Amino acid sequence: MKEIHYVMIKSMLVVSIGLTGCVNVAPWERGNLAKPQMALDPHPLQSEIQSHNYSSREAAPSHKSSTGGGGCGCY
Amino acid sequence: MTNKIRRVFFITLLLSLVATTAMAEHLDEISAACTLTTLDGAPAHNLRELKGKVIYMDFWASWCPPCVKSFPFLNELNHDMKDKGLQVIGINLDEKVSDAQEFLANHPVDFSIVADPSKQCAKGFEVMAMPTSYLIDRKGNIRHIHRGFRTGETEELRALIAQLVMENP
Amino acid sequence: MPKHHGSYHSISDLKESPIKPKKTLQAFTSAALVLPGLLLTSAHAADKDRINFQYSRYQEGERNLFGVPNNLKPISADVLHGSGSLSLTDRTKFFYSYTQDTWSGATPITIAPLAANSNNPVLRDNPFGGTTIVGASPLINRTVQLDHDLNPLRQDPRTGQITGQDSRSVMVLSSASPETRNQGNFGLSREWNEAAVNMGGGFSTERDYKSSFGNIGGRLDFNQKLTSLKFGSGYTHSEIGAILDHDASPYITKTAYARQIERKGGSEILRGDRQDWTANIGLTQILTKSALVDVSVGYTHSNGFMENPYKVMSVIFIDPVALNNNLATPISGDMRALIEQRPNIRNQLAFNTKYIQYIAPFDAALHLNYKFTLDDWGVNTNTFDANWVQPFGNEWTFTPRIRYYSQDAASFYQPYLFSRQTVQMNKFDAGKLPDNFSSDHRLAGFGALSGGATLNRRLSKGINLEAGFEYYTRASAMQIGGGGGNSFADFDYYVASAALRLDMEGVGTSRPGAGNSSHNQHSVVHHQHKIPPAGIMFGHMLDKPGDFMMGYRLMLGRADGHMMHGSHKASDPVIVEQGCSDTLPCRFTPTYMNMRMHMLDIMYAPTKWWNVMLMPTFMDMDMNLRRLDKAPPPVPGVHEHQGIAGHETGAVGDTYFSSLIKLISIPGHRVHMNLGFSAPTGKVDIELRRMAKVDGGLIHFGMQLGSGTWDFMPSLTYTGEKNRWSWGAQVSGVKRLEEKNKSGYRLGDLAQATTWGGYDLTRWLTASVRGAYTWQGAVQRDFDSFNARIGPMDFPANYGGQFWDIGLGMSAVIPGGRFAGNRFGFEWIQPVRNDFNGYQLDRKGMLSATWSYRF
Repeated sequence: MKEIHYVMIKSMLVVSIGLTGCVNVAPWERGNLAKPQMALDPHPLQSEIQSHNYSSREAAPSHKSSTGGGGCGCY
Repeated sequence: MTNKIRRVFFITLLLSLVATTAMAEHLDEISAACTLTTLDGAPAHNLRELKGKVIYMDFWASWCPPCVKSFPFLNELNHDMKDKGLQVIGINLDEKVSDAQEFLANHPVDFSIVADPSKQCAKGFEVMAMPTSYLIDRKGNIRHIHRGFRTGETEELRALIAQLVMENP
Repeated sequence: MPKHHGSYHSISDLKESPIKPKKTLQAFTSAALVLPGLLLTSAHAADKDRINFQYSRYQEGERNLFGVPNNLKPISADVLHGSGSLSLTDRTKFFYSYTQDTWSGATPITIAPLAANSNNPVLRDNPFGGTTIVGASPLINRTVQLDHDLNPLRQDPRTGQITGQDSRSVMVLSSASPETRNQGNFGLSREWNEAAVNMGGGFSTERDYKSSFGNIGGRLDFNQKLTSLKFGSGYTHSEIGAILDHDASPYITKTAYARQIERKGGSEILRGDRQDWTANIGLTQILTKSALVDVSVGYTHSNGFMENPYKVMSVIFIDPVALNNNLATPISGDMRALIEQRPNIRNQLAFNTKYIQYIAPFDAALHLNYKFTLDDWGVNTNTFDANWVQPFGNEWTFTPRIRYYSQDAASFYQPYLFSRQTVQMNKFDAGKLPDNFSSDHRLAGFGALSGGATLNRRLSKGINLEAGFEYYTRASAMQIGGGGGNSFADFDYYVASAALRLDMEGVGTSRPGAGNSSHNQHSVVHHQHKIPPAGIMFGHMLDKPGDFMMGYRLMLGRADGHMMHGSHKASDPVIVEQGCSDTLPCRFTPTYMNMRMHMLDIMYAPTKWWNVMLMPTFMDMDMNLRRLDKAPPPVPGVHEHQGIAGHETGAVGDTYFSSLIKLISIPGHRVHMNLGFSAPTGKVDIELRRMAKVDGGLIHFGMQLGSGTWDFMPSLTYTGEKNRWSWGAQVSGVKRLEEKNKSGYRLGDLAQATTWGGYDLTRWLTASVRGAYTWQGAVQRDFDSFNARIGPMDFPANYGGQFWDIGLGMSAVIPGGRFAGNRFGFEWIQPVRNDFNGYQLDRKGMLSATWSYRF
């Protein structure tokens, strides 16, 4: 069971790094990605409440990844 | 006083930096790729016709927040320096022209807006990020490339443009 | 953690006695597991400058006690949150957040065989000559009958006859008084075109748990920002000082922690500390014009005191000799309660994957998340969740959401334990117990399914409203690959929230001619009338139809020092004699009381002469008591305040709304009238937890959160200004519109007159001096249900009086730059003369702080 998870996660990483090379989205083609509904966390206030409640009732660590990435890619 | 010295120093530095790259980047080489239209699709500017003017060319899209933020500045530039020979052009890169039209209806601008439907112009200019502005002198040399827009950067840009419009009037 | 191998531990021999575990119980449920510092909030990194206010309510359903009558209120929490992210320069941002949560209700302290009857019904004589079941009281030291396979046996409560095997377990619940936690975070971030760094820190405090934390993180973009690499790390240090309950302590075996327990002021304090380190690394990759993926790995190392010191393990001691006896004879198990023992080290790994796809036909986005975590306590978890973010036009967004979670039990989790040894002279061999044990149901194996939705509404001028709801249900049977079956720990909860979000930049750019900002800044300072000192409410109006003002007001009040009678100090013996009632002498008196009120001011101008206002409030208070000198001795069965811990309350207070009408507006002089009302949204039936079999009863009048009645709050305000000078006067009052509130009493009416003068020190800074006279009536009628009546604060006559105060204030309006137009005010109210009704704690003053911004 554990091995399967590792394999899944590693392959996700490998695939996503591999994709870096062939992904071809021009800077002006990010109109959809720039939409608020496509944000990594579209409702941060809700996420905060949820993770607070889950972590007071569940034993999983409440890690959140650092923010940033995706979106409009503007400078 | 020291501020002024610093600014002059900064501009000189900036100009000397871009001057090296500007040799290869000339409007004539790139403009051939640019078939610009109005937002309605009618043929627009041929960039070569603008030779002799200082051009501030801004690639933008309606979904790009810093682009939107830069518009009041571009309006001001246009207003203050049109008579001195500056041409401000906003080249829209929206995939749906209607988005741009809707946006402009809500945020009217004074400078000229054109579209690059085939995106060949953006590719020719090697636009790497949104927004990207190209500052082109009267001879057609690309003298400065500015990526992004932050309100704190406008003074340097303004000084740079003022410098360019003074050259070979 | 103390070593206990081979050592003999003594335990209490008090049996069959009800216990009252820590009032601080719930508070632990919030902070101890959450580790606030390890969460890097995404709100901090918002692109836009933004201010958020949010209120949420968490409400649990009742726990299953298998038919034992139970009137304990389930756990609930009120959470107030304010946060913001503000640009200091083009590339630097400051962010802050403040969260206050108040928990109350009944919480599980241990798990026991149902046959042990640990949830003991509490009976009280009713006026009709019978008995009424008024609740359940926990019994944690019991004798349990077992068969030779150690299955608990059920006994008939009256005859004592064994009626059969009953292998069910049950949670043992205990109630608690409200507890409040405060958390503050601050941080800075700096951004470049293709990179960012951020650092932050903060603290979380509650009575028994204090944490401080710091974190740093960053982001690197590659490949025209199609790929972003993110990383972060954090450290949290926590100190635990759990005050063990006076009543419960004799029944809890805590010898394993003997060296960590300190005695102070009659209380036992279990001390510990804990450290957590965390690191994470993540990658966001854009896949197509309409899809992206985000993966991350996080690692947390924790060491130190990770127990919940209020959770006990039921250990059933069995005489090994009895096991060899006649199979037909039931074995008598000796059940004791031991503070749980968790390992001192925990390592956790978490893997997150998120996929986001744009769905063009609907203009919607689908978010899919999967998280897998594992740790060296044996808790492996899987979480799946999906969100569908659906905008409707530019104004509405609706986001339904579903989530499934499953976890394996920690290796040392057991509902209860058996130990084959006898307890003699209160001693047992701790070496025969496992090193670690916990019956905390959060470490059990279970699954949970939850679903909910978020609704956003964008108003004009950068104002956003958000409402959220979620329902959560937990069941052992839902665990992936779990045996299920044992449903004793199953429960459900819902969370409802409402939020207001202000986009500061949206405000700026929507102004006509924002490009030339120096003009606007000018007008901000010069075209607004001067605002009265911060302590004045309803003191100014908006002038332009369609204008909108958003404000926040904080009031901190403190009473401490001597007890006063009229305008003089009162001695303890006098208070004992006269402070309460003729028949009931006072036994306790307050040592201090703090009141904090958070208020949102939302103001709108439909016309030039008419403004409307809405002001939701959030209150919290804390108070401590001491026994009066010469107080009569405790009487069994009567409420006593024990230990060094005080009381806390907090949640939504009353909500004010009003109409302001401009009467006169000529250059230099303005008069307006305010017709305000207060809606009774604050609770007036907050109870202290039950002590042993004695009801806590309703908490003191002054600690309830609202008036409980609809109130009329009129005022008349005059303001004037000339050059750098400004001045004003206001008369105001509060008239209770109802005879009594739902707890039977009504607060006294109130009248106030105040006048002030101000001088502009600079163009943007004003200093003010104010005098105020306040009259307030005593509380009318009385509680109509039980209140412990232990001191002056429980008697209606000891409220109100006449008060003379001086206020010193400063107010500022930011004249230029990116924060132009923000107004701040502070005012300190210093009592000068007091004439108290009855016996009251001396007033020490009040601080008002305000922020407002006009759109």
